[in-house]
Amino acid sequence: MLFFVARRLLYLIPVLIAVSLLTFFIASLLPGDLAYVILGDQATPEKVAALRHDMGLDQPIWIRYFGWLWNILQGDFGRSFRTGQTVLQAVTERFPVSFELMILAEIVGLAIGVPLAIVCAARSGGAFDRFMTGSAFAMLSLPAFLSAILLIYFFAVELRWLPATGYVPFAEDPGANLRFMVLPALTLALAEWPGIMRVLRSDMIATLQEDYIALAKAKGLKASRILFVHALKPSSLTLVTITGINIGRLIGGTVIVETIFALPGIGRLLVGAIYTRDLIILQGVVLLVAAGFVLMNFIVDLLYAVLDPRIRHGHA
Amino acid sequence: MKAAIRSSTLARIFLVAGFGVALSAAPASAQKSGGSITVGLELDIPGFDPLKVGVFDTSAETAAAAIFDTLVGLDDNAKPVPKLALSWTHSDDFKTWTFKLRQGVKFHDGTPFNAEAFKANFDRQKDPANKCRCAFYIAGIKDVQAPDEYTVVYNLTDPSVNFPAILTIQSSNNVVQSPTAWKTKGDDYNRNPVGTGPYILKSWTAGDRMVLEKNPDYWNKGHPYLDRIVLKPLPDAQSRFASLQSGEADIVWDDEYDADNIQKAQKDPKMKVHTYAGSGAAVYAFNTKTPPFDDVGVRQALVMAIDRKKMSQAITNGLARPATNPYGDGSWVKCKDDGALPEDVEKAKALIKDYGKPVDFKMLVTATPRGRNVGQVLQQFWKRAGANMEIEQVDQATIVPRAFMRQFQLTPWRIVDLADPDPQMYANFHTGSPVALANYSNPELDKLLENARTSPDQAKRIEDYCAVSRLINKEAIWFWTFQNTYYAISASKLKGLPKIYHGVIDVSDTWLE
Repeated sequence: MLFFVARRLLYLIPVLIAVSLLTFFIASLLPGDLAYVILGDQATPEKVAALRHDMGLDQPIWIRYFGWLWNILQGDFGRSFRTGQTVLQAVTERFPVSFELMILAEIVGLAIGVPLAIVCAARSGGAFDRFMTGSAFAMLSLPAFLSAILLIYFFAVELRWLPATGYVPFAEDPGANLRFMVLPALTLALAEWPGIMRVLRSDMIATLQEDYIALAKAKGLKASRILFVHALKPSSLTLVTITGINIGRLIGGTVIVETIFALPGIGRLLVGAIYTRDLIILQGVVLLVAAGFVLMNFIVDLLYAVLDPRIRHGHA
Repeated sequence: MKAAIRSSTLARIFLVAGFGVALSAAPASAQKSGGSITVGLELDIPGFDPLKVGVFDTSAETAAAAIFDTLVGLDDNAKPVPKLALSWTHSDDFKTWTFKLRQGVKFHDGTPFNAEAFKANFDRQKDPANKCRCAFYIAGIKDVQAPDEYTVVYNLTDPSVNFPAILTIQSSNNVVQSPTAWKTKGDDYNRNPVGTGPYILKSWTAGDRMVLEKNPDYWNKGHPYLDRIVLKPLPDAQSRFASLQSGEADIVWDDEYDADNIQKAQKDPKMKVHTYAGSGAAVYAFNTKTPPFDDVGVRQALVMAIDRKKMSQAITNGLARPATNPYGDGSWVKCKDDGALPEDVEKAKALIKDYGKPVDFKMLVTATPRGRNVGQVLQQFWKRAGANMEIEQVDQATIVPRAFMRQFQLTPWRIVDLADPDPQMYANFHTGSPVALANYSNPELDKLLENARTSPDQAKRIEDYCAVSRLINKEAIWFWTFQNTYYAISASKLKGLPKIYHGVIDVSDTWLE
């Protein structure tokens, strides 16, 4: 097992290097020279040249890349030219919001998707199954910006049950924090559960046709016990993959959801950095997020091994 | 999410001066003290240290109006009124302005406000070693002197007849910050601003909320009324409006591109729509050095082909007010004849035909739904007249450098609401200015602009500015589509909001009924 973890960790190194390369070069490809953006109306050629020199922008791109990487290895991700905040400060301030949002969305998504999948699989082809597969497809096609506005209109404007926008830190007031988080998490979860349900449902249907299930039935075990105890764990491998990959989609989703619900998370930070050409923040945050995503997938790999012993012994 | 070209970003270009807020004598006995309001702004505020952020956008200015004071305020008739300065005088040539300061005022950290503190603010921004982006806007000020504790003297490079009005906007140049605070806090000062204003910064969570509490020692006794103001960035227009409906916000920023919600609020008795018909306009500049715009006939044809009424209907449900000159209804410059070209598509067709060659060109638009919308409408108008416009979508941050480097054929721009037309008109049209985007030079135009900035006689200035408008309209080097209108929507219980000068929602002297 240790060997397995160590090997997987080694795989991370080239991936992270590729991520850092991509991040840096894509950010440099954004139109609008940073020096012009900073100088604005004072962008005389001399001032631009001086500032470019100050910021090292006149150096070849690969020298800038290695300089950036070298600083990062020493823990220095740089500082925003607009706010004076360091990347790490900005990320530590914003990360808890996005993290909580993603966790809640994932929990809500699973809470809706898993029971529905089990029920549908148990009676696959039945009326409820067909109805749910249809609705899942419909929900999958509903974009977050639309469901967010509909949820706000219904729950905040009409019913007045929940706030439309805003945020309170969990540490300050857990109850209020959750009230503010319900609609954003639900918005993201609405796009998550259909995938979860469909994948788990089809895996489950396959599992239910295995011999050992027939044996369990023959032994006279209760249907619910067969479904939850015997069939769920072997059917959840793909579900784990989906849940892992979903983290990536959720990071994308937070950009929209945080903007609509005015949550002070990473997504808003990124959008702001793009608009204001705050490249230092942009590169640093994208790199950290990407590294987080890669790590997440690493954990998913480990989970496989826990779920299916064949994988950790290299037979799968 | 962002306007085609809106004050928030491009305003900086012109933010040479501006407007402020009136400490107007509001009707007696109506005001009630106490309570708290939440303000929904559009953008995240990056901070307040001029050396860091350079210039404030309108969201930062809304906060600055509560935390800081300016020397001069502006009443609801756009007349300068005392704030931190009690009175002012000028030299005969309007190049030296002397302000007598209010005594006994203290910053929130206890530092006394005096001429020395004021001069320290100015010198810090002017010092070339500090490389402040804010320095551009005070380039016309040679220096500030502090001859005694309560006297400040401005020495200008050029005459400015309406100078106090220019000091009224709550910009990074005009608000007075505590020198002790920025010296002791260093890098942290940006997010921990200290002023003399009616509200003190209590807490600020990046991207979320800024909590301001009443300054109990405010120099203007009896003010402010509210105990607390919470400022929140609510970037999405739909959820911003929903927050007002559901009561999370008491007043929100808005603009005419959100026409549906504005019109809905106008019919709702629980809401009040605050509008201010400001000066200035949404404008477009032709690069007259590149064909086909080196031909005046082509330029005129394109301007005549625009049907502003129809365009307003298409993009803002008819809310946007057509503009025929760069000054607008909110300006004191009123022209009997501004020389606007007629909206006449037949004449436009004839002019294009006279040109003899195909009229093909590219226009810069911002890569936003609004920018595209405007571009597509103009494209249709010009197609009818026989000209072929290709839309080039770039983002807002790119338009500025492209404009400065003159890498465009036709670009959007903006003339923002300022108390005096001089700073922007001179910058936009005088030969040699970095934002004279049309690349057009005309001694007659230069002469008119110079006269208008040095003449103390307002009637004479109006005449000059109207002549400027006639000349520009005739030469069609720039054109104007819509006047600036600024919007805020509030719960109807919120009272006392002054005019939204320069798009700044100043809630610092409001109260709840």
